[in-house]
Amino acid sequence: MKKTKIEKLDLYLYEEVLDNGLRVFIVPKDNVNGIYVTLSTKFGSVYTEFKTSSSKKMNKVPLGVAHFLEHKVFEQKDGKDPFTFYSERGCDANANTSNYKTTYLFSGSNGFDECLNYLLDYVQSPYFTDENVEKEKGIIEQEIKMYEDDPFFKMYDGIIYNSFLKHPIKYPIAGSIEDVKSITKEDLYTCYNTFYNPSLMFLVIVGNVDVEETINIIKLNQENKKYDKVDNLKIKTYNEPDEVCKEKEIKKMDIKIPKLGIGYKINCSKFKDNIYDTRIYLNILFDLKLGTTSVLNEKLKQLNLVTSEIDYTLVNTDKHILVIIMAETKDPDKVKKLIEEELKDLTVTEDEIERKKKTRKSGCIYRTDSIYAINNKIVSNIMNYDKVITDDYKKIDEININEMNKIIKNINLNNKTVYIIDKS
Amino acid sequence: MKYKKISNYSYNLHVIKTKKFKTVTVQVNFKRKVKKSEITYRNMIINTLCESNSIYPTKRLMTIETENLYDLSYRGMNYISGKYNVMNFEITFLNEIYTEEGMLDRSIKFLCDIIFKPNIEKLRGKISFCEDSFNKAYNSLKDSIISQEENPDDYARIRMLENMEPKSCVSYRSVGYLSDLEEINKTKLYNYYQTILNSDIMDIFVIGDVSESHIKRVIEDNFDIVKTLKKPSESHFMLPSKPKMLPKLIKENKKINQSKLVLGYKIDKMTDFELRYVLNVYSYIFGGSSDSKLFKTVREENSLCYYISSISQPLNSILFVRAGINKNDLKKTLSLIKKEFNNMKKGNFKNDDIIKAKITYVNSIKELEDNPQSLLSLYAGIEYLNSDDIDDRIKKINKVTRDDVVKLASKIHLDTIYLLEGDTVEKN
Repeated sequence: MKKTKIEKLDLYLYEEVLDNGLRVFIVPKDNVNGIYVTLSTKFGSVYTEFKTSSSKKMNKVPLGVAHFLEHKVFEQKDGKDPFTFYSERGCDANANTSNYKTTYLFSGSNGFDECLNYLLDYVQSPYFTDENVEKEKGIIEQEIKMYEDDPFFKMYDGIIYNSFLKHPIKYPIAGSIEDVKSITKEDLYTCYNTFYNPSLMFLVIVGNVDVEETINIIKLNQENKKYDKVDNLKIKTYNEPDEVCKEKEIKKMDIKIPKLGIGYKINCSKFKDNIYDTRIYLNILFDLKLGTTSVLNEKLKQLNLVTSEIDYTLVNTDKHILVIIMAETKDPDKVKKLIEEELKDLTVTEDEIERKKKTRKSGCIYRTDSIYAINNKIVSNIMNYDKVITDDYKKIDEININEMNKIIKNINLNNKTVYIIDKS
Repeated sequence: MKYKKISNYSYNLHVIKTKKFKTVTVQVNFKRKVKKSEITYRNMIINTLCESNSIYPTKRLMTIETENLYDLSYRGMNYISGKYNVMNFEITFLNEIYTEEGMLDRSIKFLCDIIFKPNIEKLRGKISFCEDSFNKAYNSLKDSIISQEENPDDYARIRMLENMEPKSCVSYRSVGYLSDLEEINKTKLYNYYQTILNSDIMDIFVIGDVSESHIKRVIEDNFDIVKTLKKPSESHFMLPSKPKMLPKLIKENKKINQSKLVLGYKIDKMTDFELRYVLNVYSYIFGGSSDSKLFKTVREENSLCYYISSISQPLNSILFVRAGINKNDLKKTLSLIKKEFNNMKKGNFKNDDIIKAKITYVNSIKELEDNPQSLLSLYAGIEYLNSDDIDDRIKKINKVTRDDVVKLASKIHLDTIYLLEGDTVEKN
């Protein structure tokens, strides 16, 4: 296994690519009791049209299929429920789906060998029937309804929906209730057989483990499982315009205090080679302008306009970054105006950037105390950079005012959408 | 890991020395018997002190200082623990081995400035909190009280408790009440703040790779202002109240897509062993995991919900079940929950279920050591609730038998069924 020191953080990363293409990453940490394991595939909600060399034309699957598949991968032919398996060993099991990936996970401090083997086994043995697919629909319907009652989720989904025209990131991860009803077992197998190939998956293990023993368990588990190569995987690309799809929407809900959301759709294709590097700069920029240390935040509280700090988050496709800003306010129009005014001047100082770099470095150290945070960092590095960044300090040191100024000079905040949730 | 309790002050200092973490966490707890009218005061104190102080006159400057302290995080919290109301202030920061010398002292001073150096003003000899920080804290708390009703899940749980135990502190809202807030002014609040410093029971917990003698000295230097008299704490545990002869069904409406069902159960007087251990095993089997009876029957077999779980509150001798369902499925869901509840009473569960519950408990106890906050809760539990230490907990949970679980099941009675009914048209 390749061994790399994670600079300045007292940790080592071990990595290996197995013969079948599965990538394995291990970070041993002997001063904890727990172990956290994730098995991810680069298949999320946005992959709804794709083909490989074995199919003649593009496969088109319903929205929400990645999330539906995540639920059904737990179904086993022998009737054994993975939750029961992990529960018998006192471990937690779960899974989650995002726009670009699906992850299966377990954590615990007991029966690691069995649990690891079982994770690989159950994820790699699909069993979809018309009956078990149908049974899941009621459950997912309730999951969708649960999120629909949350005003911030509703607003978040609404901003993305109104920002994008063609890219499927536009749609909620779980799809709509109608989408879910249309999903068939054939759809699930089509996606599974393409994206659950080991060559598109990666396993991340962090915690109290022995590296040699662990890699041997994985190799032994995988050596008899044969997979065809996924050749020429093509995923549909979208010629997404820079303009937002809809500029304003007001939605009524049974709430007490209105909520304001603004989405800035920014074409970042010319900023930096990797869009995730641009994200780092935009994160710092919006943190300085709208975050807890910003002048605007102080002003909004002074005027009693917001109930708590403004929240902002970034979502991206290959070309665009959508900066989503959310606030709870009695006067959405006024807060919107103040945010827009504040963002007219994006100037930041070198000192401010240095202060944020310091907190980012501290964040790296904080993270190493948690097996969950280390695992999440590795997963997100693989997703964003296709490799694990082991010199985060160096990457942070490289952040500089000149690069920031270049981005600020070229940033266009004219493409925006406003979403307000008002009292019904 | 080495634990030491130092009691020769007006407060208790608990030092948990461990090399496990790169951080140091300090938590200062103030507690007194809960009174409904004081809950809002205590939340106002937290909001006011965390908003600004005489050293950092605005929250912005306070937050910038946290960044200078290598991203120190701080928070204030108010919660009800059985008969007591606990208010705490906590900071977590990097051990100075990873930052620079002197950061430990500076970080603890930052916490003490929050607690002891409020922004105050004097008017005609009367001291009060300063207008600006009071107003910001007031507005923020008012919004929190109003908006807590927006989350249908939380709201349904609160309303179930208010119907089940209308007069008991079990149903007090820990965020406070608008009617009490309207009565508070900056002078009254300052006077209340003084009573906290003078009469609350105070405990300080420090966890991290620290020198005990150094911590002792820093705390002594910073906490000499505390005048509180040391008083013995009473038990936090509430005595159970009698369940209704027949469970009561309450329905309320909200414009939501999914109806929220909450069932409240009261538990007859439990032995110490039952409330600390057997109840845990019971709840795990009944609805405490994705492998529980309720999850299997209501979600997996009947597709009626996405989430369903049971949660026990040993401090209050109650248990509740919560689920998000279609309102038209109420009858069917209730009947399935009842069926599984009766199965628990009849002992219709496998020995494996008990083993699973125990293994899960033991693992979760072991993993408490992996996180400073959970380790701190463990020691707070030992101090406040007379909880056992890790080794004893593991020994005792393993003594729970099937008979214990069945015996406890007969003490649990359904009291209140609450449905927050969504009136959005449902498609079935």
